[in-house]
Amino acid sequence: MFPYIIRRLGLMVVMLTLLSIVTFLLFNAVPTDPAMLTCGKSCTPELVAANRIRLGLDQPLYVQYIDWIKAIFVGRTYGSGTQTFPCNAPCLGYSFRNGEEVTVMIKAALPITIYLALGAFVLWMVFGILSGIYAAKHHTEWQDRVIMGVALVGYSLPVFFIGLVLLIFVVVRLHLLPYPDYVAPQTNPVQFLQTMILPWISLAILYAAYYTRLTRSQMLETLSEDYIRTARAKGLPESVVVRKHGFRAGLTPIVTSAGLDLAGLLGGAVITEYIFSLPGLGRLSIGAVTEYDLPTITATVLVAATFVIVANLIVDMLYAAIDPRVRLS
Amino acid sequence: MKKSTSIRFGVGAATVAMLLTACGSSSGDGSTTGTKGGTLYILTQGEQILHLDPQRNYTGEDLAFASGYLNRTLTQYTLSKDNATASKLVADLATDTGTASDGGKTWAFTIRDGVKWEDGKPVTCDDVKYGVSRTFASDIITDGPSYAISMLDIPKGADGSSSYPGPYKADAAAQALYDAAVTCEGSKLTFHLASPSSDFNYTVTLSAFAPVRKDADTGEKYDDHVLSNGPYKIQSYVKKSKLVLVRNDQWDPATDSLRPAYPDTIEYDFSLPADVITQRIMADAGNDSNAISPDGIVPTQLAAVFSDPKFEKRRLNDLDPYVRYYAINTKKVPNVKHRQAILAAANREELRKIAGGIYAGDFADGVVKPNIGVDYAPTGLWDTLLGDKVPVTGNPELAKKLIADSGEPFPNPLVVDYAKTPTNDKAISSLVASLALAGITVKPNPLEPGGYYGVVLDPAKQGGMSAGGWAPDWSNASTVLPELFTPSGGFNMSQYDDAAFNAEVAAAKAMTDRGEQAKAWQALSVKSMQAALALPTRFGKEQRLQGSNVSGAYTWGPYGSYPYATLSVK
Repeated sequence: MFPYIIRRLGLMVVMLTLLSIVTFLLFNAVPTDPAMLTCGKSCTPELVAANRIRLGLDQPLYVQYIDWIKAIFVGRTYGSGTQTFPCNAPCLGYSFRNGEEVTVMIKAALPITIYLALGAFVLWMVFGILSGIYAAKHHTEWQDRVIMGVALVGYSLPVFFIGLVLLIFVVVRLHLLPYPDYVAPQTNPVQFLQTMILPWISLAILYAAYYTRLTRSQMLETLSEDYIRTARAKGLPESVVVRKHGFRAGLTPIVTSAGLDLAGLLGGAVITEYIFSLPGLGRLSIGAVTEYDLPTITATVLVAATFVIVANLIVDMLYAAIDPRVRLS
Repeated sequence: MKKSTSIRFGVGAATVAMLLTACGSSSGDGSTTGTKGGTLYILTQGEQILHLDPQRNYTGEDLAFASGYLNRTLTQYTLSKDNATASKLVADLATDTGTASDGGKTWAFTIRDGVKWEDGKPVTCDDVKYGVSRTFASDIITDGPSYAISMLDIPKGADGSSSYPGPYKADAAAQALYDAAVTCEGSKLTFHLASPSSDFNYTVTLSAFAPVRKDADTGEKYDDHVLSNGPYKIQSYVKKSKLVLVRNDQWDPATDSLRPAYPDTIEYDFSLPADVITQRIMADAGNDSNAISPDGIVPTQLAAVFSDPKFEKRRLNDLDPYVRYYAINTKKVPNVKHRQAILAAANREELRKIAGGIYAGDFADGVVKPNIGVDYAPTGLWDTLLGDKVPVTGNPELAKKLIADSGEPFPNPLVVDYAKTPTNDKAISSLVASLALAGITVKPNPLEPGGYYGVVLDPAKQGGMSAGGWAPDWSNASTVLPELFTPSGGFNMSQYDDAAFNAEVAAAKAMTDRGEQAKAWQALSVKSMQAALALPTRFGKEQRLQGSNVSGAYTWGPYGSYPYATLSVK
């Protein structure tokens, strides 16, 4: 397995490099001149030219790219004259729109998105899988119909709607929770939980609905297999049949979906972060796109892509653990 | 302040139109006395204050906020609900509103004694001089106004750039150029200008002319923690989260009659959803009863807020700083009758409805707005100037007559530049339809919003008519008419260059009698509309709501903002 992991990690570096090149090219393909956007009302051609130099946009694209890559390993210096300041390695660039090093911005935003994604992930996996198994066990009975009906509603509601409804009713109208005001868990765990509970629920409702349906369909398929009938005929308790023979066999697609969904969220749950004022990666990336902030765009794209690629690798390795027929080579 | 292409009121036009009777002008509290103590909360969807660095701060709301709490400027506007009173200058960091000499080419201010930075050191003349010099470092000190560069008597290169590169790069020779243009003798600060300016004391209300101490200057990073000389100082500032201001114990109220400094703490909360901000302030619970929002009420809640009497004392509905208009390119439409025909034919009511109805603004009769103060007077544009009355729905027959009187056919098609947004698309469709009734063929030219002004300010690329928005930089029409309608202005989308008009503008700019100057601007405003240099569509308005404990809230004319300095919480 070790050579496989090394090979996949090598491939990841190649993919991230290609992705960063594509991001650079795409950014330069847009018709808007970022130098013009940093120019106030008294904008003159000289000022635009000066801003272009300041942003490094006067350099050929490949020079800009090489400078950017180099800074990741050795850092670089920004500013001019007597007012220079360092951007230490790993320097992902400097956001002139935010007046901050991109690495600093990502370090601040990433934990928030991780807390958001992991908390929601736990909730949706627990509720989605348990309710899916329960529905499958009570296939065609009223419990199944109720769970599927609720899941359909949950899956149909867009996350911005769920989030806003929760926020307006639970916080603004009923005052059951204080208004979300993010603090790190180590600073104030109670306030952290009060802030995160609604975003977790908002995301979990959407995803749990999907995982309920997915788990149910997988369970129904495996529970109708011949080996399940054999297990029951052998006199195994139903709980063992369901858990050991049914659920494990149906787990592979659930793990695949879970890995990719979690990775997607780690790249930034834009809408949820926006509604609940969580300054995570999603907000950072959207802000960067609207402000044509190339260094931030490139960095956030790479962080999100890294999560997806790593998640794929983990999922592949989990296949081997779940299903003995799968061998990584 | 920044030019604008955006139109915020795209939703709810039909709903709000039904509320004509419910909507009055500004209510608010407007109290001039307040209560000491408490925390004022400011809720915004913005992720940070664009710039706290005084030399980079250039938006009305941020200027009002920073000048109210953190940085004092040489002069300041009067805090008053009345626009004419509010436009009057008062001394702030200077002991008076400045003394002009040499026909307005030299301006002197005396720095007030006893004003201190938050670390206890005195604010000196040299600090102001140094602060102003930072504007010249245009590769680091970005986004701010460049009046120091254009107005001070410092030689410029062939390409128009200043020979002084700012304090970070200047060698001794370059620094000497600046030192000759701005001098300090004790506490007396003297500015030597390249050409006369009768209202330079208004220019210095901008925080670009505020002090910055050299040893505290961190260049690009100064935005993150400015050294305060106002009644508050920054306790913490986390972008995308919150800015907290606490009292500056080095601020001496005896030196400052403008800032009562009522609250103990100011908390600026960023990154909040616009809908939720309005909902929270409407609900008025807990800390939100001490809250304001500079963002305005979301369009979907305008009906609820303006139809319910319980919000009467908490809501504001006032002019914002912007006039919205279409500049008519006089090079492409040289015949004045043709330009007048455009004005006569346009259906302004429909344009306003598309922009959001009555809440989007009042019908404009020129580019000088009433909230500028004494420089505004009705132009009579829609009553007599075009030869007949023009209703808000347009007068296509008058337009046809004007074209016929011109003696030449209209130069069809009329290319209209605009920043492409769904709302602006609808506005252009309306223009196409209304101008077609007069035989004018409009050819829409949608442009990418981010690069809009880069195109339309290029005479080679501009069409026959271009959408625009303009807010004055200080309360004097000298920042409107010369900017929009003379070659020396930075925003002459009308490409107008009339010797007589230019001469009258120059004369008005040089007038030292403010009353006479106001009359001159009023006359020039009428002339600009007679010449049909622009189709003014509306004087923009903004609606705001504040918590029930907030006192002293009104729309402050000079910045179209809250009067931050006077806000208090009960």
